Amino acid sequence: MKSNKSRQLWLVTSWEFIQFFKWKQELASKLIMLAIAAMVFVWQYVQDDSEPSYRIAVTQNNGEKLADEDAVPTDLPAKIAQFEFIQSSVSASSLATTLSEESAYDAVLLYSRDGNGQRKLTVYSQEKQAWLPLLQQTLLQHYSIVYAEQLGLQAEQLSLLTTPATFVVNFMDDNVREDDGVSSATAIGMIVLLAIGVFTSFGQLFAGVTGEKQQRVTEQLYSCISAQTWVDGKICGQILHGMKAMVSSAITGLLILAFVTVIVKGQALDFSFLNWALVPWLLLFALAGLYLCTAFMAAIAAAIDDPNHSAKTSLMLLPLVPIILTFLSMDNPSGWALTFLSYFPLTAFAAMPVKMSLIDVPFWQPLISFCLMVVLCLWVRGAAGRLFKMGMVMYGKEPTLKDMLRWVIKSEN
Amino acid sequence: MKLVVSQVSKAYANVTAINTLSFSVSQGEIFALLGPNGAGKSSIIRMITGFTKPDSGKISLTIDGETFDAIPSHTLGYLPEDRGLYPERTLLKNIMYFAQLNGMSKADAAVEADHWLDKFDLLVRKNDQLKSLSKGNQQKVQLITAVIHNPKWVILDEPFSGLDPVNQEKVVTFLSELTARGMTVILSAHQMAMVEKLAHRILLMNRGEAVFYGKLTDFQQHAKTQSSLKVTFTESVVHQVEEADYEWINSKTLKVTITANTTLSRLLLSLPSIGDVANVHSESLDLHQLYLNAITNHGVALDEK
Repeated sequence: MKSNKSRQLWLVTSWEFIQFFKWKQELASKLIMLAIAAMVFVWQYVQDDSEPSYRIAVTQNNGEKLADEDAVPTDLPAKIAQFEFIQSSVSASSLATTLSEESAYDAVLLYSRDGNGQRKLTVYSQEKQAWLPLLQQTLLQHYSIVYAEQLGLQAEQLSLLTTPATFVVNFMDDNVREDDGVSSATAIGMIVLLAIGVFTSFGQLFAGVTGEKQQRVTEQLYSCISAQTWVDGKICGQILHGMKAMVSSAITGLLILAFVTVIVKGQALDFSFLNWALVPWLLLFALAGLYLCTAFMAAIAAAIDDPNHSAKTSLMLLPLVPIILTFLSMDNPSGWALTFLSYFPLTAFAAMPVKMSLIDVPFWQPLISFCLMVVLCLWVRGAAGRLFKMGMVMYGKEPTLKDMLRWVIKSEN
Repeated sequence: MKLVVSQVSKAYANVTAINTLSFSVSQGEIFALLGPNGAGKSSIIRMITGFTKPDSGKISLTIDGETFDAIPSHTLGYLPEDRGLYPERTLLKNIMYFAQLNGMSKADAAVEADHWLDKFDLLVRKNDQLKSLSKGNQQKVQLITAVIHNPKWVILDEPFSGLDPVNQEKVVTFLSELTARGMTVILSAHQMAMVEKLAHRILLMNRGEAVFYGKLTDFQQHAKTQSSLKVTFTESVVHQVEEADYEWINSKTLKVTITANTTLSRLLLSLPSIGDVANVHSESLDLHQLYLNAITNHGVALDEK
């Protein structure tokens, strides 16, 4: 009864994946995601399309009515945009009543002039409101025009005064994208996703390998599968977990963005900033990066006898180095640092996707970078297999770094 | 199909684990490796299973004209000395996992799992987590994972350790069923009484060397030749006994050790010349005593070297 290696690989992969897959928690989190998505979707259709309007009571500093009872000040129209200004006699003592929940007013505007004749506008609101900055902007814009008219300025002159010069930045590198803010956000998003994937997979792999070693399951497994098949299966299972974590985090992030955009800000849903062409490359580099990190972790974890007392646990932080270096280099995407990191196989999984999100990169660059990574992955697979094989049968003592370096080159019995 | 271990040696750092050891195991037999802790039983097992390689010497196994330097994994069922499965998973999931890794289909594995769990009175608990079982019962589950795929070669490293007498007997029955299915069993043990019931041939080891190798009946014959005769005389007598290894326990009691050179009939004929015989009592060493003697003598001999 000869076992098929690919079947064994699949069995170990699924066993490893299911070992850390808590379906009840997964189901709960996915239901929450679905609920948010449904809420965003429904909100767009049920909300009132008409712009909300706000009633602002206008009164003088001394609490008395304005001079003319039937009109708001001559320099303040009854309505600007979505704000309606109504003359009212509100004293300081009656502010609380005026702004109570049952009140017909959304805010009270105290209108006065100082000794130099300059207007002073004080707004009272029951609580913090999202539209208050808009009210400020609307009133300041209105009084700019009023002053311009008093000074005899034309509309063009006022425009020149508010925008005295146009500021334009041009990059000599044609590959640099114009919308730098969005590109940077995308790049940081990618780094965060990679960090989530790497942390998830190598954390779980560490727990899994040291756990199995302590549970003494190694020799029984070695009697039916090769160490290489075992470690391959474990790595594949954890890569699936890493990718799942990355995809889940990306969807969660987008849902939160949608929630804030549609429900909190009341704006239309817009995902146009997403560069979909980058997604396949991100997935490829993420796969290769997760493979490198989990293979490294499998080799190190196999050499650890007691995870609570081993000095080798500090080596776990090494897979974070490429991510940190990329983060430090992303200010200059065309610079030598990010260019080197994007080709160097140990760091390319983090650096190249970030570079691609910041500047336009010719097709051959990620291709070469990815091919170099694949070559490294093939070598790492063998080295990790040898380290794993030797490390997993060492109980009670740990191999030295010298031993481990020797096993990277050649297996021993 | 015969496993041949020829002049095999193995050392770890400066410690010799196995020293020029030779033996062979034929198809269908139960072969026992006996010896105290540190005798080298697990070391030789790890070489037979291919986990480690000999420093010198050769291990060979020919199957269908193809020669291997260890038992190939697809014909092997193995219960290691360092035991352990996945405690968070159920009994059935643990067994199914190993069965499928060994090439069984899911359906066949489920049928066989039920069969063996029933044999060990664990069927009703098949969906319980492994960690909820006692240590002895966990060991029984691990025994099942080692043999569920009907391997040609079964290697069990200390299958009786940690089991109570009732469960030790169950394992004896279990091993009998394995041989009835045509499996060849190599086991290591301390318990001579268990081995006595099962093994066709044994290899008694001490400090990496063979102390005795052969059929159990030869070993038992060897035990008989080392029996002793206690003779009690009616009166106090002290007399030399010719051609015998003897010892006067007291002035009336003589103890004669029967060796291969002892002619029993001549010894018995010579007794009346010593004095009036009141009683003759034969004392033979059992396998356990012989095991202890052999190990002790071998240790002394090695130390004298």
